Amino acid sequence: MIAQIGFSILLTSVMAYAWTEYRRAPVIAILSMLVATAGLYFVWLPAHATTLAALVGIGRGVDLIIYIWVIISLMLLLNLHLKLRSQAELITILMREAAVANARRGKPSK
Amino acid sequence: MSAGNHSEVDPRSIWIVIAAFNEAAVIEPIVSDIVRGNYSVVLVDDGSQDKTGQIALAAGATVVTHPVNLGQGAALQTGIKFALQQGAHTIVTFDADGQHRPSDIARLVDALKQSNADYVLGSRFLGSSRGMPLRRRLLLHAAIWFTRAVTGLRLSDTHNGLRAMSREGAQRISLRQNRMAHATELLQQIAASELPYIEVPVTIEYTRYSLAKGQGLADSVAILFDLSVQKLHR
Repeated sequence: MIAQIGFSILLTSVMAYAWTEYRRAPVIAILSMLVATAGLYFVWLPAHATTLAALVGIGRGVDLIIYIWVIISLMLLLNLHLKLRSQAELITILMREAAVANARRGKPSK
Repeated sequence: MSAGNHSEVDPRSIWIVIAAFNEAAVIEPIVSDIVRGNYSVVLVDDGSQDKTGQIALAAGATVVTHPVNLGQGAALQTGIKFALQQGAHTIVTFDADGQHRPSDIARLVDALKQSNADYVLGSRFLGSSRGMPLRRRLLLHAAIWFTRAVTGLRLSDTHNGLRAMSREGAQRISLRQNRMAHATELLQQIAASELPYIEVPVTIEYTRYSLAKGQGLADSVAILFDLSVQKLHR
């Protein structure tokens, strides 16, 4: 029960974080929420995880949950990458404004 | 070879945008040649650690400097923004590594005027290319097929930095890809603008210097990754 509560808190946090990211990266946010919801479902109904795992050839239900967690981690990493890209775009805009404002005009030597 | 003039449009309202990073070894004759054609030149010094900016300035270019290296896509967008601010009638993008012929500028600008297109794209496969290695040729053909698939544009050459655009065309370009994926992104934006475009033959001369600065297979993978990831965020 303690593990289930702990995982539930973690997965709910992932869902909340994904919700906050929806505006910036909607595809990643929706995927994260879907995978976290699946994780939450299997944490409380592990027998269903075992059934589904057997169906898709994974073996044990716990393995399926671990895979889901790995997928969530990868998506969070991708989201971090996207955030860094957004920051880089802002820095580019800032540098562009500064560069254009400080243009130097050359005069060709005769 | 000198960049030629063309009739009616004031050459000073034609801005040549050159993105340059550490090109001190080759930039002087390129800028001088274009300036002799009475064009306005803006060289975006993309954080060079050599004297690229100073040499271009002495040769008559207006120099806009990025404090750090951001990439060719970012530099071109900076140059386009600056040229538009200066009231450019036409903008031509031109590589800094000596692969392009300044004399092709007049050909692009004339084609822009005569065709009423908003974009004129240089094509080495309609024109000629000297010294292109087989590996580069294969890579470029793969890029052509990929670009056709993602943009729908039927082009014979897709990663050619020699292009001209009208003021209206340039206003529709807003590059977010700082590095090499900008070439495909630019074509995507041309397709999205629905403005007319044409291709004209140009000459590309490969040198040992320009080949050393060119793209390889790993860069192609990075371009694919950058283009894919851009679709995931705003």
